[in-house]
Amino acid sequence: MLLLRRPGFVSMTINSKKMRVWTLGIIGIIALGMASWKAVDDPVPTGPYTLQYPASFGGRFTIPADNPTTQEGVYLGRLLFYEPLLSSTKTISCASCHQQARAFTDGLALSVGVTGKTTQRNSMSLTNLLWVRQLFWDGRSNSLEEQALVPLGHADEMGSKPNTAAKALQKTTLYPALFRLVFGSDTITDVRIGKALAQFERTLISANSRYDHYLLGTYQLTESEKRGMQLFNSAPSMERNVRGGNCAHCHGGPKLYQEVFHNNGLDLKVTDAGRQVITGLALDNGRFRVPTLRNIALTAPYMHDGRFATLEAVLNHYSEHIQNGPTLSHELPGQTSGFHLTRNEKSDLIAFMHLFTDSTFVNNPQFADPHHRVHRVHRVK
Amino acid sequence: MNVLILRTKTIFSAGLTIGLYLLTFVGHAQALTISGEVSKPLTLQSADLKAMTHTDVTAKDRDGKDHTYSGVPLVDLLKQAGATLGSELRGENLTKYVVIKAIDGYEIVFALAEIDPEFATRTIILADTVDGGPLAQGVGPYRVVVPGEKKPARWIREVKSIDVRFAK
Repeated sequence: MLLLRRPGFVSMTINSKKMRVWTLGIIGIIALGMASWKAVDDPVPTGPYTLQYPASFGGRFTIPADNPTTQEGVYLGRLLFYEPLLSSTKTISCASCHQQARAFTDGLALSVGVTGKTTQRNSMSLTNLLWVRQLFWDGRSNSLEEQALVPLGHADEMGSKPNTAAKALQKTTLYPALFRLVFGSDTITDVRIGKALAQFERTLISANSRYDHYLLGTYQLTESEKRGMQLFNSAPSMERNVRGGNCAHCHGGPKLYQEVFHNNGLDLKVTDAGRQVITGLALDNGRFRVPTLRNIALTAPYMHDGRFATLEAVLNHYSEHIQNGPTLSHELPGQTSGFHLTRNEKSDLIAFMHLFTDSTFVNNPQFADPHHRVHRVHRVK
Repeated sequence: MNVLILRTKTIFSAGLTIGLYLLTFVGHAQALTISGEVSKPLTLQSADLKAMTHTDVTAKDRDGKDHTYSGVPLVDLLKQAGATLGSELRGENLTKYVVIKAIDGYEIVFALAEIDPEFATRTIILADTVDGGPLAQGVGPYRVVVPGEKKPARWIREVKSIDVRFAK
């Protein structure tokens, strides 16, 4: 069901009559079963969840038929996202490495999981994942349902052996009834955990930055931002006397990324094979997904290994230090080691990139830790 | 016991290093797949493509210069896979489109009729050589060339798959 709410905005609702019928039937049971918990929290919202996004983001996404987005599913997914019981040490949740204030990153070059060891790659920002078709830096997962279970089971991330997190949740007073509400029975499994997390992640839509307002015609660019945008959108050309960083070629469009995997010339000799580990193709050596630039000012440090602490360092790389390795992206000037931007051009580009910060996204109470609302004493039997 | 673990680890990491080395420098053979609404889905190796009849096309690339590309017309590839072309390209079959994907994730689309010579005056080819030589790294193994198209954005590089679909 598609309905237009306001010009330029699309609302998408998963229409599921069946779900509504059993939701009504089950609500009484839930009310009894969760009396102690409900006493300390608001009623669980139920019914189809409406995903709202600008029409310019487009409808190129698929929600699995066996996991429609519902309000109760998103509610459960959010609790799980902030749930340390999912880790083997019961100390780390998804939110440990994906903090809302940092646009769901962790500020570290490489994250630290249950073992104290660092992970292989930099924590990715969780923004507009509804549209992402191949998740992770190397694109290994084709669905959020599948993706969510990878850090759960990874020895150096949350370290939970198969179904141990599910067992831990089963022992609480909080979760079995919620799983019943969302999935029809109170059996908790890893697959269901992944489904609920995926539902919550689909709601993490960022579309309210100053850049979005500029696109809608409700924000006026400063002179510096204007120059920055010009550089961002232009491929340089000596003949036509055009300066540019050609950024938009890979980071363009309203969502600020194209779903491609490129080698951006960090090292002459690749240290992490990246996409090649997944595909086995020589051409993919040292390629990583092109990340969105949404909230980029909040997600330092940068690159798959977090090697650059600041946006200035990132621009210095693209300006002067591109390594002309065999699989360097076709869009990058390997022969000249970079775009050779001036100091002023770099600061204009950075001014422009700050427009991508969506402060309503990082402060949205719908995405925040919900557990303070739930009396923890009641949670573990 | 410790020594044993250490040895196992060493062997494992050596294996991993050799594996990665092979991955880096040998790579997998890059096959081309043709799938979807076709009667004979195909996986073609580079030798299979080399053996097919080639057509030469001269067209301007992004550099503004004319280049001679040699390759297999897309129509021949799709015919071999049993797509509905020629006399069969009518009625609902006119709602078919062709998704071509690159290794790096880039994707483009043609309507099936754009590829059929009974509709189109230009011959779109899947090139495997340019000006008599191999395609450059990051362009090959195969590149679509669309003669006469003003913007070369559908000249997709690193082609890995061709998928025929119905518009639904």
